[in-house]
Amino acid sequence: MHFAKPTTAVASLALASMGLMTAAAVSAKEVTVWAWDPNFNIAIMKEAAARYTAKHPDATFKIVDMSKADVEQKLQTMLASGVTKSLPDVVLVEDYNAQKYLRSFPGAFEPMSGVVNYAGFAKYKVDLMTIDGKTYGLPFDSGVTGMYYRKDLLAKAGFTDKDMENISWDRYIEIGKKVVATTGKKMLGIDPNDNGLIRVMMQSAGRWYFDKDGKLDIKNNPALKAALETQGKLFKAGIVKPVTNWAEYVGAVNKGDVASITTGVWITGSVKSEKGQSGQWGVAPTPALDIPGAGHASNLGGSSWYVLSGGKEKAQAIDFLNEIYAKDVDFYQSILTARGAVGTLLASRNGKAYAEADPFFGGAQVWQRYSDWLGKIPSVNYGIYTYEGDAAVSAQLPALNQGVPVDQLLDKIQQQLSAQIK
Amino acid sequence: MSQWSGKLRTALVYGFLWLMALLSIFPFVWMLISATNESHDITKGKMSFGNALTENYHKFAELFDVGLVFWNSGKVAILGSFLTLAVSSLAGYGFEIFRSPGRERVYQGVLLSMMIPFSALMIPLFILLASFDMLDTHMAVILPGIASAYMIFYFRQNTKSFPLELRDAARVDGLKEWQIFLFVYLPVMRSTYAAAFIIVFMTIWNSFLWPLIVLQSVELKTITLVLSSLGSSYTPDFGVIMVATILATIPTLVVFFAMQRQFVEGMLGSVK
Amino acid sequence: MRQASKPSSSRFFDINGWAFVSVAMALISVFMLYPIGKSLWMSVQSGQGTMTKFVGLGNVQRLLDDPMFLRALTNTSIFLVVQVPIMIVLALVMASCLNIPNLKGRGLLRTAVFLPCVTSLVAYSVLFKSMFSYDGVVNSTLMGLGLVSEAVPWLTDPFWARVVVIVAITWRWTGYNMIFYLAAMQNVDKSIYEAARIDGISATRRFLSITIPVLKPVILFTTVTSTIGTLQMFDEAMNITNGGPADSTLTLSLYIYNLSFKYVPNFGYAATVSYVIVVLVAILAFIQFYAAREREQ
Repeated sequence: MHFAKPTTAVASLALASMGLMTAAAVSAKEVTVWAWDPNFNIAIMKEAAARYTAKHPDATFKIVDMSKADVEQKLQTMLASGVTKSLPDVVLVEDYNAQKYLRSFPGAFEPMSGVVNYAGFAKYKVDLMTIDGKTYGLPFDSGVTGMYYRKDLLAKAGFTDKDMENISWDRYIEIGKKVVATTGKKMLGIDPNDNGLIRVMMQSAGRWYFDKDGKLDIKNNPALKAALETQGKLFKAGIVKPVTNWAEYVGAVNKGDVASITTGVWITGSVKSEKGQSGQWGVAPTPALDIPGAGHASNLGGSSWYVLSGGKEKAQAIDFLNEIYAKDVDFYQSILTARGAVGTLLASRNGKAYAEADPFFGGAQVWQRYSDWLGKIPSVNYGIYTYEGDAAVSAQLPALNQGVPVDQLLDKIQQQLSAQIK
Repeated sequence: MSQWSGKLRTALVYGFLWLMALLSIFPFVWMLISATNESHDITKGKMSFGNALTENYHKFAELFDVGLVFWNSGKVAILGSFLTLAVSSLAGYGFEIFRSPGRERVYQGVLLSMMIPFSALMIPLFILLASFDMLDTHMAVILPGIASAYMIFYFRQNTKSFPLELRDAARVDGLKEWQIFLFVYLPVMRSTYAAAFIIVFMTIWNSFLWPLIVLQSVELKTITLVLSSLGSSYTPDFGVIMVATILATIPTLVVFFAMQRQFVEGMLGSVK
Repeated sequence: MRQASKPSSSRFFDINGWAFVSVAMALISVFMLYPIGKSLWMSVQSGQGTMTKFVGLGNVQRLLDDPMFLRALTNTSIFLVVQVPIMIVLALVMASCLNIPNLKGRGLLRTAVFLPCVTSLVAYSVLFKSMFSYDGVVNSTLMGLGLVSEAVPWLTDPFWARVVVIVAITWRWTGYNMIFYLAAMQNVDKSIYEAARIDGISATRRFLSITIPVLKPVILFTTVTSTIGTLQMFDEAMNITNGGPADSTLTLSLYIYNLSFKYVPNFGYAATVSYVIVVLVAILAFIQFYAAREREQ
């Protein structure tokens, strides 16, 4: 703290020492954090905690790891029952759920608008955690999407890196057919019951299941229609390897069964886990839908940290999050290199790690590209019914795979969703 | 019946039984095999033994305090079983031996309550225990299940085979009712209690949803919670999961094998 | 029927009666009656999370228009109608096989078949999930044995996913029911069978005319408990398929769970759906009891 005039030094000193004492008293207790995924979120939070503790030796952290579904279920149970005793101080919430929690449980989360400088974060992230002008969470990782492809397989089919830049999905399908024909490998893996790719495509055109006012936007949603049609075309073209779950999804890439993967940047760690494929992968922008307004930037997933108003150590928690996640640019470099976590703090993009060329991807400056796309992600209002929206779309996926016309599917999706959002 | 068709029938019977036995056992065998392999081999369907057993166990031990987790599960299961058996058998005995129209109606109400799905009770129960300030304790996990309608039903059914002469003789000897229960009923119904113990122990040991909601602290977690969190990570390590599953299943296996005979006898009693 | 004690000691009788059941009744009142009541109260409210308002029968109305609820109801019914009879019949057949005199390895076989009942639902669900995945053990075995030419999409096809769930539950619970039947069968006097055999009655007829009638109360018991169990099925639907694909294995209980913890929390509506289960259970149990009683006359 800076004391402007020596004449106020004494008073300031008194205030400062009182502040220190309060701070010391506050940091004597433990900040509890709930999150999932020990290799990513938990590991990153542990590092953040370590950094904070280095500067505030009295602060202690209890980082509890459980599955994402468990976190959500516990959070909902506790908030619904009004029991705040066992709530953590900080909880990780997937961006798709942010509005849901914020709106269903008013007063449960602590706004940080006065403390955190939200202008320093990617707009699409801040928008989704803001209600009535108040912003609640601390933006964490981005699910900015890109396409990784096997250069060697594409080359065999006669395609160069240039051929993969800024393509449409229809072009992607053509390329895919050639790849299958010449190399025998499928172009991509899709879980037929997962609509992740559909969401990516929808957001790339700036649309969602709901419009900016949160109203249902299904029947006349050209992005959703095009996305469904595209998924149908992908399967029909015979370029998809069906997978059952996450492990198989990643396995298809690691085992070399598929020539590309288009999803959030957090897949990077998994792609790179197969060291034998180093140098064989390239990166390109997400393909675009063939409709007006469609771009090459989108998002899948991503979460943020929220402070619970009922938590015991909320002051400490806010201070911690602000100091590390909102200000520590070096922290972001570290988690990028170690975990492949692309943060949404705009300043972090200027750091060293982001400019690095990755030999695994043939020397491409992978992170730089992702952070460029990060700035172009269209903001959408995820609304509070994203899970319901997903369920409604997933329910029609088998029909889609059987060739039912998309307009009929849209009708059904609309019908199901309107029943759910009562 | 010709001899030939008799032999055929026998062959069919044995064939069928062994097929069923094989199908029943296979997942266990596969679990054992998988525990010795690494995760990526398991997802490829490898059917032979590997040598990753100790490695898998070490990974598991790194993630969780294995001893503590089992202590938690054991404590909850044993304590819960004893309390459940005590309360439910008292009630079952009471309903059967001291019949009255009023109590019959109450009993029917108890039976009806078996039909309420747990999902309907979850949140009110949670709020209730929160108001008692008992959340995040092992007692909170046990309490709602102690007065088990199923067990009350079970004990009442089995009490029907309790010889009343013994009770009358004890009364003549001047024993009070509670003494009759403790010193005459209990010893006679040993196998019933044994069977009940197995069922209740297994149910509590394997319980998942309620502990999930109630327990927050890592130090209190039971083995099912641990298993579930292992299985629902993005990249589950199946080798570790298999080791954890085996360890989780062993106690129930032990209890079952140790008390098998009493178990069957006990079930026999409830069938009459 | 045994008689209660004589009226002269009826007060003593009554006090004792209540004394014995008191602890259980107290606990049930607190941990069952209160939640049931509260749940009923919640079912006439609707809203997001903690912001609810009174809607009376509005939730019931919503049920009829709710495609997901109807799907859950259909699935649960399918499981009920398919799985329970298969399991009961299988358990009966296994029990009668195991009951054959001079069967070698009876203890071993019986133990083997009962073993699945010892596993925790979470454990075996995760196990089955990994066994039935696209590249998993079941597919490789089937292809290895030449029974199928390409991998079966167990968990990604709505039809096969239901098959997996049915197979899983049958695997898990058949042994349990079988033990009941076996115990009951071993109560039947062997000489009756001998007499029937000497009279030339075929094995099938012996089974149908002697065994089944004796077993009727047990069969009724297991059918009712299996029905109740299947109507409330949750753990398997959640851990093996999570209701998918496309909600083809979504059960009523899982739907309730989703309404509380996955979707925008509407606890009031969730409570209403849970009472649907209660009603179904009551109806089916009543039907089964009634059917059994009638035949006894």
